[in-house]
Amino acid sequence: MWNPRKHLLLSSLSLLRHISSTPPLLRLHPLKPSPLLSPSISFLPPVDSQLRSNLLNLPLCGFPRNLSSSNSCSSCWNCGAVGPTSGAFLACGSCGAVQPVDASVDYFQIFGMEKMYEIEEGNLEGIYKDWQKKLHPDLVHSKSEKEKSFSAEQSARVIDAYRTLKDPLSRALYLLKLERIHVDEENTISEPDLLMEMMEMREAVEEAKDAQSLNEIQSKVKKKLEAWSNSFKEAFSKQDFDSAVNCTERMKYYVRALEEITKKL
Amino acid sequence: MLRLVGKRLLPQTLAPQSTASPALAARRYHERVVDHYNNPRNVGSFDKDDPTVGTGLVGAPACGDVMKLQIKVDEQSGKIVDACFKTFGCGSAIASSSVATEWVKGKQMEEVLSIKNTEIAKHLSLPPVKLHCSMLAEDAIKAAVKDYELKKAKNGSSEASSPKVAEA
Repeated sequence: MWNPRKHLLLSSLSLLRHISSTPPLLRLHPLKPSPLLSPSISFLPPVDSQLRSNLLNLPLCGFPRNLSSSNSCSSCWNCGAVGPTSGAFLACGSCGAVQPVDASVDYFQIFGMEKMYEIEEGNLEGIYKDWQKKLHPDLVHSKSEKEKSFSAEQSARVIDAYRTLKDPLSRALYLLKLERIHVDEENTISEPDLLMEMMEMREAVEEAKDAQSLNEIQSKVKKKLEAWSNSFKEAFSKQDFDSAVNCTERMKYYVRALEEITKKL
Repeated sequence: MLRLVGKRLLPQTLAPQSTASPALAARRYHERVVDHYNNPRNVGSFDKDDPTVGTGLVGAPACGDVMKLQIKVDEQSGKIVDACFKTFGCGSAIASSSVATEWVKGKQMEEVLSIKNTEIAKHLSLPPVKLHCSMLAEDAIKAAVKDYELKKAKNGSSEASSPKVAEA
């Protein structure tokens, strides 16, 4: 038998539970719409001056969210606030709601960096942590299933982006991928000079007896890797993609050798 | 959660997961691959300059693998009497080249050219993601045969020309 009083009690209890677990920022604010109530509001909520100036500065666009664009026409699914004009829209600046993944936003955009090989590697960690403070699944325990799944995907994507951009070789391969250059995984080569060099290098690592000889080999390989890394930068900037791919192939061999050395040390 | 566990298992370490519980047995190296890794057959090197030796050197740049397969051929019969390999790569690549050396021994050179990567892959139950390792082994066999034949042709032509030089 449906008991109206019990139902009212239960829904107010869940409301109270939600409010108490919601971080202070998102609690009922006199000027901002409550996240709970917004889905039912069909008109523009009363805006505070900050929001008004944001709206005025942005180009007019319809409410339906444009999922294929990473620019200003994206609006928050939760409160309707419009996303930033530039940069990735991963979490709403107004209500903090995590947004669904937009695959057209590339890793460089997520980190607010120019799409090129040489980047400020030192800045990556800070930006990564800043994003995770807004996106991490641990922060959305009390949110809807929808937002929880957005958070899981968005957070995972930022992790991928961070790892890809942090390592020079994966960054190089990602840049090629963005240029639609497909590096064939199954390609086999039989260039005698290149392979002989790599064979001898790996044999030297295998036969090295002590840390000193390993360190010597390591520094030699690192120098070669750096040289080819610079060659990639040059080739890529000239859009000489064949040479660029060739550089990444060599880099891969040196990276593998370095991994083996690290294992042995 | 399961997806994460699956992803973590996928990049396999070379240590055979003999202690893995049956529940996680979904992604492991096949026991034949593990066997070839633990009990490698025919690892070694022949003298590259030996006229009876053909050396096949191939690589897979996408994974940074390099594979050397050598055959020792009996000049009279054209039969491969011995084979050895040296591979730097994943367990599947090592096992593929090990199997290749086993299969070419005692066969005619023309015969080994028909060894297909799919047969090696089937023998080792290689997953799709490792099929290119068997391809590498097939290419290595072909490269070794080609190298031997090139050498033979070169030696043959130099033998033919030297009597003339001696006469002159």
